[in-house]
Amino acid sequence: MHLPPAHPRRSSLSSSPFGSRPRALALAAGLVAAVTLTGCGPASGAGGAAPGAQEASPDGPLTIDNCGFEVTFEEAPARVVTIKSSAAEMLLALGLGDRIVGSAFLDGPVPEWLAEAAEGTPVADPFSDDVPGTEATLELEPDLVYAGWESNVTSEGAGDRDTLARLGVATFVSPAACKTAGYMPDPLTFDGVFAEIEQVGAIFGADDAAAALVAEQRATLDAVVPDDRGLDALWYSSGDDIPYVGAGIGAPQMILDAVGLGNVAGGVQDTWTPFAWEKVVDADPDVIVLVDAVWNSADDKIARLESSPATSQLTAVREKRYLVVPFPATEAGVRNVDAVAGLAEQLAELNLP
Amino acid sequence: MSARTGLWTAGAVAALLVTVVVAVGIGPAGLSPAEVWQVVATRLGWGEWLGVAPPGRLVDGMVWQLRLPRVLTAAAVGAGLALCGVVMQSLTRNPLADPYLLGLSSGASLGAASVLVLGVSVLLPVAAFVGATAALVMTLLLAAASGRSGGVGGPSPTRTVLAGLAVSQLAAAATSFVIFLSAKGDQYREILSWLMGSVAGATWTSVAIAGGAVLVLGTALASTGSLLDSFTFGDTAAAALGVPVARVRWLLLVGVALLTGALVSQSGSIGFVGLILPHAVRLLVGAGHRTLLVLSALFGASFLVWADTLARTVLDPRELPVGIVTAAIGAPVFAALLWRGRQA
Amino acid sequence: MTVSTRSTVAADQVVGAAGLGAERVRWSAGHRLILDDVDVTAPPGAVSGLLGPNGSGKSTLLRILAGVQPPDGGRVALAGDDLLAMPRRPRARKLALVEQDATTELPVTVLDAVLLGRAPHRPMLASPTEDDRRIARRALARAGVAALEGRLVGTLSGGERQRVHLARALAQEPRLLLLDEPTNHLDIAAQLATMRLVRSLADDGVTVLAALHDLSLAAATCDHVVLLAPGPDGGRVAAAGTVEEVLVPDVVDAVYGVRTTVLRHPRTGRPVLIFDD
Repeated sequence: MHLPPAHPRRSSLSSSPFGSRPRALALAAGLVAAVTLTGCGPASGAGGAAPGAQEASPDGPLTIDNCGFEVTFEEAPARVVTIKSSAAEMLLALGLGDRIVGSAFLDGPVPEWLAEAAEGTPVADPFSDDVPGTEATLELEPDLVYAGWESNVTSEGAGDRDTLARLGVATFVSPAACKTAGYMPDPLTFDGVFAEIEQVGAIFGADDAAAALVAEQRATLDAVVPDDRGLDALWYSSGDDIPYVGAGIGAPQMILDAVGLGNVAGGVQDTWTPFAWEKVVDADPDVIVLVDAVWNSADDKIARLESSPATSQLTAVREKRYLVVPFPATEAGVRNVDAVAGLAEQLAELNLP
Repeated sequence: MSARTGLWTAGAVAALLVTVVVAVGIGPAGLSPAEVWQVVATRLGWGEWLGVAPPGRLVDGMVWQLRLPRVLTAAAVGAGLALCGVVMQSLTRNPLADPYLLGLSSGASLGAASVLVLGVSVLLPVAAFVGATAALVMTLLLAAASGRSGGVGGPSPTRTVLAGLAVSQLAAAATSFVIFLSAKGDQYREILSWLMGSVAGATWTSVAIAGGAVLVLGTALASTGSLLDSFTFGDTAAAALGVPVARVRWLLLVGVALLTGALVSQSGSIGFVGLILPHAVRLLVGAGHRTLLVLSALFGASFLVWADTLARTVLDPRELPVGIVTAAIGAPVFAALLWRGRQA
Repeated sequence: MTVSTRSTVAADQVVGAAGLGAERVRWSAGHRLILDDVDVTAPPGAVSGLLGPNGSGKSTLLRILAGVQPPDGGRVALAGDDLLAMPRRPRARKLALVEQDATTELPVTVLDAVLLGRAPHRPMLASPTEDDRRIARRALARAGVAALEGRLVGTLSGGERQRVHLARALAQEPRLLLLDEPTNHLDIAAQLATMRLVRSLADDGVTVLAALHDLSLAAATCDHVVLLAPGPDGGRVAAAGTVEEVLVPDVVDAVYGVRTTVLRHPRTGRPVLIFDD
């Protein structure tokens, strides 16, 4: 596994701003609790064995260092609360939809290829549109909270990682979303994304499904030939007066590299960054990638670009060189490869000289 | 008069107890009173004696690790903030004063934002506390340096308030700058939540800190009722009554700063409690400080517990920071107060 | 016209006697000298007036005498006891200060306001006792405002409020009563009533010193006056003595810059000042 090379230690960023402080004793207690609980199964007695296959990891307990927080899985989790589309879609793609007991904070509809897998699962009926509160999460009696953002597992959200661990609920944050120094991928690569798929597979005892998925995605990725015309792009994510754009080390850069487009904001050492229209105009990108989100659609962005006197004169705007990518596909997860393929196709259709 | 006060106090204490009990039973997870009772009884060691079955781990966690510390912390913070509000309003002879007046909340916010952004949020309570105290010191220095008022107790209340405003603005600007410069991704959420005030992350440690501060500092402040009464007609009158005005003012301010700093370090800057509660209680029992201090603390505790209960449930499954609820309730009440004052 | 800088009542006659004696009081605000070696005496059992135009330092002097503001130099004694060296609370038991129109927006009742005067007589954090209440009510009755006991101070008229403050001072049971322009904002009836009350206190043996703005009122009510004059180098005592001695046209002209004619009141024999244009 390609995990960041740092020794496991408590991540103070992800723990609650006002909760208990990590101490060796609490760590031990948390581990004991996690071990005891995952050994005993869901606590309140309502869960029992989850329907469907539940394989314990063949190698015994699995301990991982997740964003600086040590998590041990005695058994594969059977009751998962997912937060954000990336987490939900990861589990669906690995055929683990039956383990999901609640999904929250979806960023948009699931892709077509996962629509059938989502049917009948809580992903089709999320219990919260935004980050859920701790009690609401615990009410579902999860044994794992799988979060797409590190901030989802704080005390204002689904719960502080320490507190949840003490209650026997494991937490797993998508490694690509870690913000702590040493854990933040710099830069994010497809190898890293695939490593997450494999790690999740290992946690759930679904190694075969993971390996298959990774192989499939690699194949799709390899089939895309990066464009070699030296074109550059603006990755326009959101923002009006001040645009929020994809920067140099995150998923946007990773996707653009695979497509063969340069990033006008690629010099910024961040995942996403606020930018300035002036610099956009100065760079005059060849194409503009528009992130299509439910709250801020590609059409909204086009309208904005075309109505503003400064940006309306950009080459890409005048000639309508737009590439569209759906928002959930822009966070590290199982849809990045599709994003690459989709963008490459759209780029080819533009028939640029 | 004394009997009436006693009645009010007894009533306030009873109200607080009922509030705490009821609030622990309310929450997004549909726990029945029986389940809550199960947890409490087991935890207090009465389980076997009363024949109560031990609760499930998650139910126990929700009641004992989440709700109870949270309710108790809210009660302590509400009591402390209300107390500090009374003292500040009397010290500055300004009915619009609140505990955060002398830059305390902005200083604490600056400390908090800095550590959140630097990623050492383990230091947050300390940083908030240090920030609050540093801001107070700056305010007092600025007020003292801005000229000798020729008055009795050092810089006049007005000058102190203005100095506090200046320091608040400075700290707020610095906070914005820190956030702008260094906040990544969803650190904004954490910082915003802190700025709005929340008891969501309360643990038994929070209860110890907030509760301890209220018990020690709050009791000390609450005993200064007679002293605060002396200030009714101004500093000169107080001095002529034998009160060491400058020293008393200093001690009280430091007491308020320490208590507010401790509270804010656990809950962020929850607004309007310190501003509104003293007025509400004055409407009920008049301006005598001995009664006012005690009753403000008690009612402040109940008020914040209810506000937090609302915050936890009104947007189920999401949670509001309690500072939003207190603002939503407090701002109209505040406007009503101003209106009444105009007509009086 | 002699502008004397010494009281006509010899200092050594008063200091050591049961009255107020202040010597060589000096105070500056920054670089400006406000009081320049001022001597003031006020005998017990009499109403003494502290007169002078604006800027002569009357209020400052009163605050210094009350021990509320430390002077840059000088000595203040009451019945031989050094007031400045005395600790605050014993001093507050000996003297009371009534300021101009002090009010509050807080809902304070008249009784509570008067009870404040009992504070120096009990431990700092203690509550008022039944004894305190009794004394307070007695003070209210003496001041003629017993009926207002339950009213809020903020709802009273100027005259009523002034009497409440006097009651508060009475409740302090002082030997020395200092009043800072107690009649400024009152109508004529209230002014006279206030001064009548003040006189009755003096008749009980209290030393009373009142800063007064109104020369006519001073002439009608004071036994002994000290007249401060503002100078380029701070206020100094222009004259001191009985009203007959001090309120003479030359002195008034020298200090106030107005010409007066002084007549004699047919019944009381006190001077009546008429200001000529």
